[in-house]
Amino acid sequence: MNPIIRLVNRNLTIALNPGFLIWQVIFPLIYIFVAGFAYTSLIDVVPFENKELSYPAFLATGMIGFNIMNSTLISGIIIWNDRRNGMFEQILSGPFTRVHYILSNVVTIGIVGLVSAVLIAFIAYPVFSESSEFSLLTIPVIIFASVTGSLLFGSIASIIATRLKSSEGFNVILNTVFLFFAFVSTAFYPASGAPEPLATAFYLNPLTYLVDVIRAGIFGSFTNFVIMEMLILIVLASSLFVIATKLLTKLDF
Amino acid sequence: MSCIIAKSLFKSYNSVNAVDGIDLVVKSGQVFGFLGPNGAGKSTTIKLLTTLIQPTSGELTILGINAKENPLEIRHKIGVVLQQPSYEPSLSVEKSLEKYGLMWDVPRKIRKERVEELLSDFDLHDIRKKKTDDLSIGQRRRLQVAREFMHDMELLFLDEPTIGLDPSARRKLLDFLKRKVKDGLTIFFTTHVLTEAEYICDEIAIINKGKIIAVDTPDDLKNRFGRKKTIKIHLSEVNENLKNLLSEVKDCKIDFNSGSNITIHSDESEIVLLKVLQILNSNNLVIEDLSAVPTNLEEIFLKVVNESNESNN
Repeated sequence: MNPIIRLVNRNLTIALNPGFLIWQVIFPLIYIFVAGFAYTSLIDVVPFENKELSYPAFLATGMIGFNIMNSTLISGIIIWNDRRNGMFEQILSGPFTRVHYILSNVVTIGIVGLVSAVLIAFIAYPVFSESSEFSLLTIPVIIFASVTGSLLFGSIASIIATRLKSSEGFNVILNTVFLFFAFVSTAFYPASGAPEPLATAFYLNPLTYLVDVIRAGIFGSFTNFVIMEMLILIVLASSLFVIATKLLTKLDF
Repeated sequence: MSCIIAKSLFKSYNSVNAVDGIDLVVKSGQVFGFLGPNGAGKSTTIKLLTTLIQPTSGELTILGINAKENPLEIRHKIGVVLQQPSYEPSLSVEKSLEKYGLMWDVPRKIRKERVEELLSDFDLHDIRKKKTDDLSIGQRRRLQVAREFMHDMELLFLDEPTIGLDPSARRKLLDFLKRKVKDGLTIFFTTHVLTEAEYICDEIAIINKGKIIAVDTPDDLKNRFGRKKTIKIHLSEVNENLKNLLSEVKDCKIDFNSGSNITIHSDESEIVLLKVLQILNSNNLVIEDLSAVPTNLEEIFLKVVNESNESNN
């Protein structure tokens, strides 16, 4: 069996505990079905490209991107735990190279990100089905978003995991960074109508681009701006992946 | 056949040589002990030999493979138990063994058999379902060593494998390792417990400040460095004049621990003992107990390291 597949198997076994899986499903469901419908009294419709979406539909599709981002936390957690519990050194004293280790993390978060996206899309389908316009591009776009999103946020989590040693520091920084990504984005609310500085901040956040791309795929509204967002995601994900790989390669024993 | 050949091996950190030009040859099918005080360069040497880090300079061949050119090929053939604990906290004992076997691409059927064998060999059967996070230090260490036997290997590096083990578990582990060596395994073994090095090692190297200062079999090390013997005598009653009586005995150092206990250190212990016995006898001093402390590896180790430190200073 390929060494990367063997490490992916190991990663999935150690990372996917029941708590994480419940969190990955319950949290978005509460947002979609509780907050989503509760806020409809305040938010009637949300403009998106040339459409008007119900708030639950807008939120449900945002939660797909949010869940992809959240699932990549396991990349940072795997690396940090491996360093803390001596497994990083142990694995690399075995039949593996650093490239195997890095690629196995990429594949792991890719799988978890894709499964998370599909799971939330499936559960939330009744909420956004009315406005959806599926085309031949929908599935490739969702896969694109899952892969680039996983790579991008997984790289950020990995960079944090390689730089921090204390558990308090790791948890505080990781949660703060991901909290910023989650709530200063268009995953939960639209940029239009938000105060100007906040709306600008939304577009400094890659999660905004990710959810825009997912919404474009589901609601069939591809514009030049969405294509530009896709390109930005590719550039950002590639750059961050190179940085994360370099830091992991330099990580000393 | 030699399975480790190191020539002028250096590893420097910020211009400090952690490993300072060591030459080493380890023969196959033996336990090679690697001893040294804390910070002597043992763990750095193990990291070099296991290809975890690359040497600053020097040549290194492991199992006939050039360590600089083909480190991965070497790592396929060796096992490593590092000094620091390594474990998967969320997995049970048996799952840890099973997953480790899978990581080494051991076929499922063999994995299952080995898990059962190792659970038994390492007394892990009763805690097989326990999560590794909940194990004691000793149990975790046993699991860490056991795990390495999930896969086949020609050479095993054990960096202080008995840390945290009780005497019974320690002896069981050493006997298990001896059996494996009989089956053809070569073991590179470091420890601070010199009685266990004496028990298990066929050959021993002592490292200090990054340099190897002695290499030999335990017996030859004792012959080379262990001529000085220690003799302890306990008299039946306290004698205030004992120090004066024995002052004429030469070629030895005598500690008068109390009025009735004396400890003699000498390179010529047999001759010195005879003289001491004559004096005690002629002064009607009754010996209640007399014992000769055999030269052990610990004394040799301390002597060799101290001499090395003195010559460096």
